[in-house]
Amino acid sequence: MDDRSRNGSSTNHGRTALVLWGLVVTFAALAVFFVLSPWRHGPLLQPIAPVDRSFLDPAPNRRAYPDLVKAKDEDALSDFDCYACHEKGKPPTLRYDEHQRLIVPKEHSDIVMGHGEQGRNNNCFNCHDENNLTLLQARDGRTVKFQDSPQLCGSCHGPTYEDWEVGAHGRISGYWDAALGPRTRLLCVNCHNPHAPTFQGRQPAPGPHLLHGDLPPPAAASAP
Amino acid sequence: MPLPDLPLRQDEPPTEGGMSRRSFLRTSAVLTTGLAALASSLKPLLELDDYTSVQRFMQKYYKEMTPDDMAKVLKRIEAEVEKQYGVRPHVRDLKPMDGVQFVYCLNLTRCIGCRKCVHACVAENNQSRNPEIQYIRVLRMPHGSLDIDKAEHNYAPPTVPEKGFFYMPVQCQQCKNPPCVKVCPVHATWQETDGITVIDYDWCIGCRYCEAACPYWARRFNFTKPEIPKDRLNPEMAYLGNRPRRQGVMEKCHFCIQRTRAGKMPACHDVCPAGARKFGNVLDPNSEVAYILRTKRVFIQLKEELGTSPRFFYYFDV
Repeated sequence: MDDRSRNGSSTNHGRTALVLWGLVVTFAALAVFFVLSPWRHGPLLQPIAPVDRSFLDPAPNRRAYPDLVKAKDEDALSDFDCYACHEKGKPPTLRYDEHQRLIVPKEHSDIVMGHGEQGRNNNCFNCHDENNLTLLQARDGRTVKFQDSPQLCGSCHGPTYEDWEVGAHGRISGYWDAALGPRTRLLCVNCHNPHAPTFQGRQPAPGPHLLHGDLPPPAAASAP
Repeated sequence: MPLPDLPLRQDEPPTEGGMSRRSFLRTSAVLTTGLAALASSLKPLLELDDYTSVQRFMQKYYKEMTPDDMAKVLKRIEAEVEKQYGVRPHVRDLKPMDGVQFVYCLNLTRCIGCRKCVHACVAENNQSRNPEIQYIRVLRMPHGSLDIDKAEHNYAPPTVPEKGFFYMPVQCQQCKNPPCVKVCPVHATWQETDGITVIDYDWCIGCRYCEAACPYWARRFNFTKPEIPKDRLNPEMAYLGNRPRRQGVMEKCHFCIQRTRAGKMPACHDVCPAGARKFGNVLDPNSEVAYILRTKRVFIQLKEELGTSPRFFYYFDV
């Protein structure tokens, strides 16, 4: 520093000034560093895509006959207009292959048969009324309308039907007390396809994300 | 800041103003640098937009508030939310109903592990999307045991359910004897008469004792300001429920207080595609939950041995 050279000796004052200037320069450099932060790290949080809205949809798996009537869905309801194709008073004949599997006619190719273990419930007229195709028929001979289908299901699945009546099986959405507001009870066929009632596999919603990037997904599931 | 020119005073006689030109320049240079550094260090304050308002600072304890106080608080919250998210919310303070004790039953036979409940909960309760806060964690466990050590919550198969596994969603168990309430040093969390353990987000100091005390990992901490896209904000809010939280407070499942105290089912219940979730008033003998607890053969309370006595029951069909 100049004052030191002027005095020709290293005085206390000179040293103090040196230290103070050193501090000033250090702090100034730090300030510049903090403002510019040349080694800025990337964003702390990894972006997470918002979840697909289909996972938030409370609509049931399927639309039952009463839903179709309510929605006036002519296209879907045409499937229930049996006598547009079938002849009245003439029960349709069923055909089976050599393994006793029902051969689904091509007019009904959208129907996948899979009711009961190994598809043993393979007779259309176990549930449909062969004398009046617009009705269902329970095994005790009762005829059941399409909108009352749970009674038909209950004629075989008694304990489940009992649970459903109370609300322990299936879903009752809306209000938890009927005194407070309307309760919507889903029908059996709102969740189960009557021709293949077992739940089909579905894509799960995304799992939890970790704070700083995700771990690789665990190895494929292996049953124990 | 006169320090740097101290050593120069002897050899440089001050001018008439009491300061030499050199010392003036030095002092001002140091001052300018110092002020600039100070200003830059305070810069983050400019980005702060949810600082404590005077009203919130002066706010009374929830249980001591009169209806008038609460009306003012709700108005303040509505204004704050509108300012931050651009959506005018409808915030209510819903009180527990008489003769109601909420209970949740979950059918482990039916749950297919699709995680729809997790995301319906996030959408309903305005949880932070990034970092992600979720109240429900779905555990996948192998058949034949109920061993949480073997549970996996990161499962990502193409389709669920998978063969050989069952799924167990875990969320706040709304214990009858809640350890989280006991440890709170400021009484910011307590159990209401309908059985829901609630948090006053304006009273919470963020010490996270409750998170440590909870044996179910049900409590979540807001490490950052919650990030909620504007179009995903649920404007139907409750004070003790789903109003947006601040950075530094705890939150957890509250059985969708904004829905259930208005009579509706929780969001996780209504979205379940398998009908595995059952919710209701256990004091009503005709409710589904009362029927399930009466007739279903097996039901468990998670970590029963801890004596927390959850209001959340897992049961099995058949």
